[in-house]
Amino acid sequence: MQLINKKLDWDKFMELRQGVLNTWPTGQEVDLEEAIDYQSKLPQDRRFASKLEAAKKEGITLAQPRAGVALVLEHIDLLQYLVNEGGADLLPTTIDSYTRQNRYNEAQAGIEESRSVGRSMLNGFPAVNHGLDACREVVEAVKAPIQVRHGTPDARLLAEITLAGGFTAYEGGGISYNIPYAKDVPLERSIRDWQYVDRLVGYYEDKGISINREPFGPLTGTLVPPCISHSIAIIEALLAAEQGVKSLTLGYGQCGNLIQDVAAIRSLEELAEEYLGRFGYRDTVVTTVFHQWMGGFPQDESKAFGVISWGAATAAMSKATKVIVKTPHEALGIPTKEANSAGIKATKQVLNMLKDQPLLETIELKNEKDLIKAETRAILERLLEFGEGDIALGTVRGFQAGVIDVPFAPSRFNLGRLLPARDHHGAVRLLDFGNLPFGDDIKDIHREKIATRGKAEGREPSFQMVIDDIYAIGKGMLVGKPR
Amino acid sequence: MAEETRQLTLVLGVIGADVHAVGNRILEYALSEAGFKVINIGVMASQEEFVNAAVETNADAILVSSLYGHGEIDCRGLREKAIEAGVGKIKMYVGGNLVVGKQDWNEVEKKFIHMGFDRAYPPGTMPQDAIDDILRDLGFTQKC
Repeated sequence: MQLINKKLDWDKFMELRQGVLNTWPTGQEVDLEEAIDYQSKLPQDRRFASKLEAAKKEGITLAQPRAGVALVLEHIDLLQYLVNEGGADLLPTTIDSYTRQNRYNEAQAGIEESRSVGRSMLNGFPAVNHGLDACREVVEAVKAPIQVRHGTPDARLLAEITLAGGFTAYEGGGISYNIPYAKDVPLERSIRDWQYVDRLVGYYEDKGISINREPFGPLTGTLVPPCISHSIAIIEALLAAEQGVKSLTLGYGQCGNLIQDVAAIRSLEELAEEYLGRFGYRDTVVTTVFHQWMGGFPQDESKAFGVISWGAATAAMSKATKVIVKTPHEALGIPTKEANSAGIKATKQVLNMLKDQPLLETIELKNEKDLIKAETRAILERLLEFGEGDIALGTVRGFQAGVIDVPFAPSRFNLGRLLPARDHHGAVRLLDFGNLPFGDDIKDIHREKIATRGKAEGREPSFQMVIDDIYAIGKGMLVGKPR
Repeated sequence: MAEETRQLTLVLGVIGADVHAVGNRILEYALSEAGFKVINIGVMASQEEFVNAAVETNADAILVSSLYGHGEIDCRGLREKAIEAGVGKIKMYVGGNLVVGKQDWNEVEKKFIHMGFDRAYPPGTMPQDAIDDILRDLGFTQKC
């Protein structure tokens, strides 16, 4: 059957569901009606969607870390610490990388070795292996809403177990959890598998249980221009809304130039409302998430706090609904709970100092917003053309043709021809457009801005410039200077 | 001497369930620029893929990256697999964020040397440092 953006038939869903629940023994623990009953009894302060909506109304930015370890009690201890000591507003449960690839046997070995050596050997919480009761233990132990954060192309079983387990938000999408997170998974398959997840969330919605859904905004986290991540966020919003999702948080990863970053968050929300409205999804609530810098970090912890605080400032000034927080251990891998908490504290200090300050309104900001909107519309309209009006089909065809293309992605279903580089002001532009459907009006703006930088640095823009930009923040700058 | 004109072949990849592609792309670029023949098996590469690629291309060294913290589990046994495949003496290098959490680098390094790697590199190592080591370890005094 050809992939299209259409609500999955319930009988078809139930048929698929049998296979999904059978892929690992803990799948048998899930009973959908009992799960709805359990979710309906959770206190309001554990519900993700309502906390986000309240923050949006109030115009404030909430802080959320990433965190997850191999064992249940240690994971609970970690989350409690991040709320009590760090002051996190929203919590995560980050899933380990074996589970993300459905490699549950390896996750099991990681759990057992973690038990025997007394420290986490996994980079996250293996929720599928732990099963339903362990998830509920986690949810009941902390007084904040918890989201499942991962990077799973086929996240159907994980969704069944964690949503039945009481988590109230679920990150990911058929593009954003495939192209940056897999090598060999066809887009048709991952989009279909995520239609299943969204249909499941839609079913909870039908029963009065709101589950927040968040496409993963930053993608590869490496010089991704706003138009690329916006296009994917909006496609995934349309796909989710069709399946009945009502609470959507769309994301963007910090590039580093204030004007571009604020313009990106503002335009993301406006574009999403525009496209959701155009396709008739009128009762979805859109909130935004700003990710602090996702690329390479300085190893020095004080310097890392500088990067974290600049991300916090930009999040606040863009009025994003929430910000995902980095830690001073970022350059070295998985942080300790103390380092994680320190990142949240630095972030919240800045958020609190900026929350009453008004949104920037300048001509530069307007121009940047207009540019991002024009670029994003160009991509989305071409994808709709490719799909003969259907965004799911258009996306698959568009990726093949490179009409949408993600820089530095591992997937072989991504053309990988884009070459981003910073301009003289540090905003991310394109050095090579690949097959993006931009007219000369847009291309000339990019070319001119990168040429200005090349002139200032006395060199021709090239791949070396891109590499210098990738290392720059880790070395204490924004724009990568010639060696 | 023949040795000095021979182009060295390196197998490059990111091990395990790790999808970090950016550094892999940069390493491929930097190593190729330095004159090596680079067999890049990309992200999410298994131990078997590393060893098979090394056997097939008669490679001089295997370069393993791991960024996501599972390196300790993923790398264990790679040397033994190379021995089984008859290329037990091949040089092996590993680098990245090799373990979960901030741990003392000397301990981490010891762990990976004990596993059979010739050298291990901490986070933040620049490609040139590894290039210099590889050339020296394989008996070259300058750029190949």
